[in-house]
Amino acid sequence: MSIDRESLKERLNEIFLDIFNDDTIKICDEMTADKIAGWDSLKHITLVVAIEDEFGFKFSASEIGELENIGEILDLIEKRASK
Amino acid sequence: MDIIDKKQAIKELKEKNKFLDSRDVFSKIKDLSSPFDNYFLQTRFVSLFNNLNKEKLNLKKIRIAILATSTVSHFVEVLKFYLAKDGFDAEFYECDYGTLRQTILDTKSTFYKFNPEITLLFTGYRDVKFNVLHGANYSEIDNSVKQVVSEFTNLWKVLQENSTSIIIQNNADIPSFRILGNYEVSVQWSNINLLRMFNLELSKSVVPGVSIFDLDYISSLFGKKNWQDMHYWYYSKHMFCFDAIGLTSFEMAKTILAIKGFSKKCIVLDLDNTLWGGVIADDGLEGISIGEGTPSGEAFLNFQKYLIELKKRGIILAVCSKNFEETAMDVFLNHSDMQLKLNDFSAFKANFKNKAENIQEIATMLNIGLDSMVFIDDNPAERLLVKQLLPDVCVLDIPEDPSMFVQYLSSQSLFEIVQFSSEDLKRNEYYQDNAKREQTKKQFSDLKDYLQSLDMEAAVGDFDEYNLPRIVQLINKTNQFNLTTIRYSESEIRERLKNDMTIGRYYKLKDRFGDNGLIAIVILEKETDNSLTIDTWLMSCRVLSRGMEEFICNDIIEIAKQKGCARIIGKYIPTKKNKLVENLYENLKFVNVSKLGEKTIWELNLNNYNQRQEVFIRKLELVENQENQ
Repeated sequence: MSIDRESLKERLNEIFLDIFNDDTIKICDEMTADKIAGWDSLKHITLVVAIEDEFGFKFSASEIGELENIGEILDLIEKRASK
Repeated sequence: MDIIDKKQAIKELKEKNKFLDSRDVFSKIKDLSSPFDNYFLQTRFVSLFNNLNKEKLNLKKIRIAILATSTVSHFVEVLKFYLAKDGFDAEFYECDYGTLRQTILDTKSTFYKFNPEITLLFTGYRDVKFNVLHGANYSEIDNSVKQVVSEFTNLWKVLQENSTSIIIQNNADIPSFRILGNYEVSVQWSNINLLRMFNLELSKSVVPGVSIFDLDYISSLFGKKNWQDMHYWYYSKHMFCFDAIGLTSFEMAKTILAIKGFSKKCIVLDLDNTLWGGVIADDGLEGISIGEGTPSGEAFLNFQKYLIELKKRGIILAVCSKNFEETAMDVFLNHSDMQLKLNDFSAFKANFKNKAENIQEIATMLNIGLDSMVFIDDNPAERLLVKQLLPDVCVLDIPEDPSMFVQYLSSQSLFEIVQFSSEDLKRNEYYQDNAKREQTKKQFSDLKDYLQSLDMEAAVGDFDEYNLPRIVQLINKTNQFNLTTIRYSESEIRERLKNDMTIGRYYKLKDRFGDNGLIAIVILEKETDNSLTIDTWLMSCRVLSRGMEEFICNDIIEIAKQKGCARIIGKYIPTKKNKLVENLYENLKFVNVSKLGEKTIWELNLNNYNQRQEVFIRKLELVENQENQ
């Protein structure tokens, strides 16, 4: 069962728009935390919780810390998403 | 409303936000959001709320410090929203992670400079460490529990020595994992039982100025299975799962509301299909459903019993029903299964006028604000009318099924208190006594004769330990007869009284119909050699126009003379609610000496004025620790 990566990216982008309250955000695979204003450690957690809620799976404690860029996040989501 | 619908509604509101008034959007957000919404929804509400023009929302500022042993930033964001729902604009101080003890013990910390009104000691089960071995005996266990509790009470001591903030202390959220399995319940030294004993002992050790927040109850209500999300504890030290943030914020906001004295005081009840099943006018006494024997009858029976328990603890009950008065009263007088009786109600309105008018009349009659009233009616049309015409009244959207009434009412946490005084037990008696006074008044055409016939006696004393809880309650709750509306916490009052130049006086009033209890206080300051300033003067609205105003003035004059002061200074700071006392000083023959913006200063010069105002109240001077009724 493979879910289209593009549609996952769309949904992930929605999450970013909401959390950072910025209608102009357009995520891409290489994007890292320093590229978006306000993406600090606390916002990172809010982001992770939102992703878990949206895609229906849970990150492990170590995974949460290892997410380096959008591409890696999408890889994980592709593997684990249940909705 | 399910999650998808809510997400859609929020999206629409976000778009409309630019065109709608902030107050309307806020009102819609308040209706939409619920403590059981998941974290993601809560953050949507918070985000919407943060985009509003807060100036327009009429929120009261409050400073709260949260000293936690976990990461609470996400919790605080949502707590701010729930506090706003209850009327507060909260400014928070958060201590650095892991510095709870140091922050309290370091008297120069920024925490003390922040000077919070309320301090949350946001701890959990991980902060409670016993040194009890398997198989320990009772006294070893008891000592260990008391020793762990003392770690907390010692922190409270230091806090209270260095700050006047009220403390809200979490108890331990007992975890769901077990080492001995089901057997934990059977031995005193098991982890679960030790924590239960800790929680009980913690509550027993409470001192004035400290309230316990029952985090364990909340974790149970939410569901212990999901309360802890361990991977967030290991990663970022969040002590409970994000989805429980809504519920915890809701309950914490209600506790803070109670400390500030804004819990609800009165429930206005419909009759048909609210206190019994069916419609009395159509079904008659034999046809309505109330009593054992049917599920619906039993549900209404238990709802009535619950209301009686609320009334016993000081909540006022009133009836507002669209029925002929005789028809409505008939049920209470003649139906043998009814639990509630007519004299359980302080107001009984059965007529065909619109309910908003009736509720307004009830508020006026009982002298309470509309914002302290709760309205329960099974009919959504009636609820909508009251919501629109009286937006200050809390209108409950009770479930359709009466078997859910009690749980629903309880879960709204409308009547939280942080202190229980004997006055609360007697409150409903006062309202009933008052109704008798009003009846008598109608018989007298001359006010003086009426006042004399009341046979009034006022007991007067300096502030003392026994009366302090009621005094603090009055100071924080009284809005109408309140000259300066300065709120003091119990510790702040104790601080002030240490000064010889400060005098606190309380006044009780009784008459031949009953005892009103402690109904007025003044706080006086001898600010200069020659003058006595009235810092605080407030009185319960139960006893207006009986001569207490003049009686208290006479008492203040006597004190001024005793202290060698020829001048008495009074201040009036107008608020939305105290227009009642706008002319009080003028009526008592004070002279207006200055005006600072809205505030006016008044002076009574005893060299020029030497009359005692005529009162029909006998004075009984009490000394400290004299046995009070």
